[in-house]
Amino acid sequence: MTTLALRQRLTHLPRDTRDTLFHLVVIGWTITPHLLHLPPWCGVMALALLAWRARLALTAGALPNRWVVTALLMLAAGLTLWGERTLFGKEAGITLLVVLMSLKTLELRARRDALVVLFLGFFLVLTHFLYSQSLGTGLWLLVAVWGLLTALVLAHMPVGRPPLWQAGRVALRTAALGVPLMAVLFLLFPRIGPLWGLPQDHAGRTGLSGSLRMGGVASLALDDSIAFRVRFMGAVPPPHLMYWRGPVLSNFDGREWTRLAPSFPASLRPQLELELKGDPVRYEMTIEPSRLPLLPLLEMTPDEDGAAPRIEGWLLQLRSDAQWHVDRPVTERVRVQAAAWLQHRHGPRDSVLGLRDLVRLPPGFNPRLLQWAAELRAQPQNAGADAPALAQLLLQHIRRGEFTYTLEPGEYGRDAIDEFWFDRKLGFCEHYATAFVVAMRAFDVPARVVTGYQGADPEMQDGWWVVRQRHAHAWAEYWQADVGWVRVDPTAAVAPERVQRSFSLRPPPGLVAGALGAIDPAFAIRLRDVWETVNNRWNQWVLNYSRGQQFDLLRELGFEAPSWQDLATLLIGLLCSAALAGAGWAWWDRRRQDPWQRLQQRVQARLTTLGVAVLPHHPPRTRAQQVRLALGARGEPVADLLDALDRARYAEGRVALRAWWRRFEAATRGLA
Amino acid sequence: MAWVRDRFRVWWQSRLPLTDTWVLGQRNVYILPTGAGFAFAATLLVMLLAAINYQLSLGYALTFLLTGAGLVSMHLTHGNLRGLTLHLRPAGAVYAGEPALLEVVITNPGRERHGLALRFEDRGAHGRTHAWCDAPAGGQTAAHLSLVPAQRGWLAVPALVLETVFPFGLFRAWTVWRPAAQVLAWPRPEQPPPPLPAAGAAGGDERAGPRSAGSELDGVRPWRRGDSMRQVAWKKVARSGELVSRETVSTASRELWLDWADAGAGPGAEGDATERRLSRLAAWVLLAEREGLDSGLRLPGSTLPPGQGDAHRRTALDLLATWT
Repeated sequence: MTTLALRQRLTHLPRDTRDTLFHLVVIGWTITPHLLHLPPWCGVMALALLAWRARLALTAGALPNRWVVTALLMLAAGLTLWGERTLFGKEAGITLLVVLMSLKTLELRARRDALVVLFLGFFLVLTHFLYSQSLGTGLWLLVAVWGLLTALVLAHMPVGRPPLWQAGRVALRTAALGVPLMAVLFLLFPRIGPLWGLPQDHAGRTGLSGSLRMGGVASLALDDSIAFRVRFMGAVPPPHLMYWRGPVLSNFDGREWTRLAPSFPASLRPQLELELKGDPVRYEMTIEPSRLPLLPLLEMTPDEDGAAPRIEGWLLQLRSDAQWHVDRPVTERVRVQAAAWLQHRHGPRDSVLGLRDLVRLPPGFNPRLLQWAAELRAQPQNAGADAPALAQLLLQHIRRGEFTYTLEPGEYGRDAIDEFWFDRKLGFCEHYATAFVVAMRAFDVPARVVTGYQGADPEMQDGWWVVRQRHAHAWAEYWQADVGWVRVDPTAAVAPERVQRSFSLRPPPGLVAGALGAIDPAFAIRLRDVWETVNNRWNQWVLNYSRGQQFDLLRELGFEAPSWQDLATLLIGLLCSAALAGAGWAWWDRRRQDPWQRLQQRVQARLTTLGVAVLPHHPPRTRAQQVRLALGARGEPVADLLDALDRARYAEGRVALRAWWRRFEAATRGLA
Repeated sequence: MAWVRDRFRVWWQSRLPLTDTWVLGQRNVYILPTGAGFAFAATLLVMLLAAINYQLSLGYALTFLLTGAGLVSMHLTHGNLRGLTLHLRPAGAVYAGEPALLEVVITNPGRERHGLALRFEDRGAHGRTHAWCDAPAGGQTAAHLSLVPAQRGWLAVPALVLETVFPFGLFRAWTVWRPAAQVLAWPRPEQPPPPLPAAGAAGGDERAGPRSAGSELDGVRPWRRGDSMRQVAWKKVARSGELVSRETVSTASRELWLDWADAGAGPGAEGDATERRLSRLAAWVLLAEREGLDSGLRLPGSTLPPGQGDAHRRTALDLLATWT
């Protein structure tokens, strides 16, 4: 079939077929972004069902009976259960929703079925935002919503074969008229926290986690998404000093590093004992939702007035391991201002019993490293070595031992650190940091792993420095008597550029980006910068909009101490005044009359006072005759005017009603 | 419950004026959410909960976008009816049991209206069918409904409803209109038609002699305006090529009286007997017209002088329809 014939055929499809095909296209468009992260069988099944339904529509075939649909649904449920181990939860729910929506198209019989599919579609659009809220996703789904609304309109145009663009225009107009209401609701609807506990599913989300397992950071390093943006109020610290402190991990069970569960009473535990030197660095951060109860602030941000971060309604606390803790998971974008001292000292100067928790190693793991450490320690030249000397020994070993920094070190076995330290020597920051800490503990020096971010993008965007998930980093701290905690970055020993220039291994670019970069690298970079700037604005103004911004808005509107009650009051007040305005318009509209009819009533009233009997439905020429009958020659000017009005209205089609009425008034005044 | 609803409907409708022209404005257009509207609201609520729980800014935006569109659709649905003028064209008389076509002209002074549905207010009694139509911008359109009178006589056009759910089907706007017009239903002619009464027996008039119905050819004359097709002597026309009419005595002078007394039927209930007589008389009126006979109608209390033609037939049937 040629394209022309195909087009002919498509434009002459029967109404039902065309509407069904349009439905299918809209549904396909809506579920497409999900195909990237749903199990492959789900995508194949959904697309196959849509294609089957399209074929049935084109060939006017009979829809499958209920048993077939039920069997397919059971199959989908079974596959979901097999893949996800549950039918509930986010992933499983979305998988089922996609299948259900495609299956429902096989039951598109009545208007009600179509409505069910469309309403499911609206919900499905929302589920995309669980994965991405980027500008691109937003635009894609805006089109999806337009399509769904168009299908909704089409279902309510039962007469004839209305063109698609007509329904599309109605949908667009309705949505556009609703935009002011949407804006008011979006700005003023109080943002409240999660209503109940979120299901635990970190699988789909990237970012630091509260624990560390071999391989956990590797996937982060490949993730180009943004962790936070930061701007400095003064001098920008050099990138190699930008350590953004995240979870501090002191507990090692042989496989996983977790936060310390202290085994000593509070009085014996090491305290923060932070001392600051030099000038502060003031900065502002916009932190993306991490779902972790912490803020990755610049080392070292103290808990002092004017320096500590503040978020309205949240409880922020600097813990004894110098990590900023929040009383809830950060599930929305937050903006904080704080000040950090790059020169500082923290940790106990004198040994406390609680530090013994930080030399504990799990028995039976990594025996070769323990033995190696013991032998090294036993060497005479190391007999009196203090902690810094031992750390230097380890760093030298790393530097000289042909270690390689790579993002793909491969799988490590049970004694991962042994394997890394002696055999494979391939790894990235977390391997170096954990091996360093284990070795220090083997020397009986308290040490711990610190995770967080290191560095930032080399170029500013729109005045902001961008820190991405690929800047995620792990480093080490050991305790030294009289000094406290000392930061060591063992990764710098093998890949100094990772730390100094904040260079991180970049995954191979996509096909298009690669081609663009090959043709004109400068243009590709500029394009990326423009895109990220736009995206940053999008994040700042749309996605970042949360309670803090709402309160800022209220403050600008003149509320002294805004609360969410003020928001509710303002919102309800605005909606009520809009409703009142609407009622006022309705009242006015009810009394409004066609100007022509109003004129006829006034003419009738005037003629009645002159003693001319006229009826409401008489046209002006009949009135002219009656004026001539009743008043004779005296009424001739008035009758002429009425005739002129009749001609203007019915023959010429143009009447200047006001001017005519003035002349008519003048003419009748003489008669009264 | 049903009783209360019926009482309410009767009371509500009694407040409405009877008029053949109905202008839709704020006073007489009503609006309520539909089932789909409630389902949409429930969907929005679920979406809002999801947006709150997962802190999705775009989720809020989407929910509020749909909320705004839904509320705007309420105004559009109402506006889809507001400003229209409905006018009921006078309907012609029909036989009882046959559908009378009601034509409602919808005048639209404003922008284009879609998905207007006209139906009878009492769906149980007059059928559930909707007449769907669109009204072009600044133009007119007509919607047709058929009304089946069960009995002869004047039947008031029952209350009509014009409703719409356009554009989203979330709200239903409607108006209830009681047209003043009435539809005349003639008695249902008896089937199969009974033979006409013998003219002589039915007569009483001396001139209408005992002749059999127009069988005898008395002569021909040139065709004159007013002669029926039946009178044309087609054989002669074919032979001579000139249009000629038969001149029979009966065309001028034969008169058939269709009498209530002759239409007596067999035994039956009183009311039934009356209706059966009227049915028979109606059948006779039609038969006489078809035969080309002058027929008069004699009912207790009223009489229609003999005559012929369409107007006469209508007058006779009207008389039968309204006779009490």
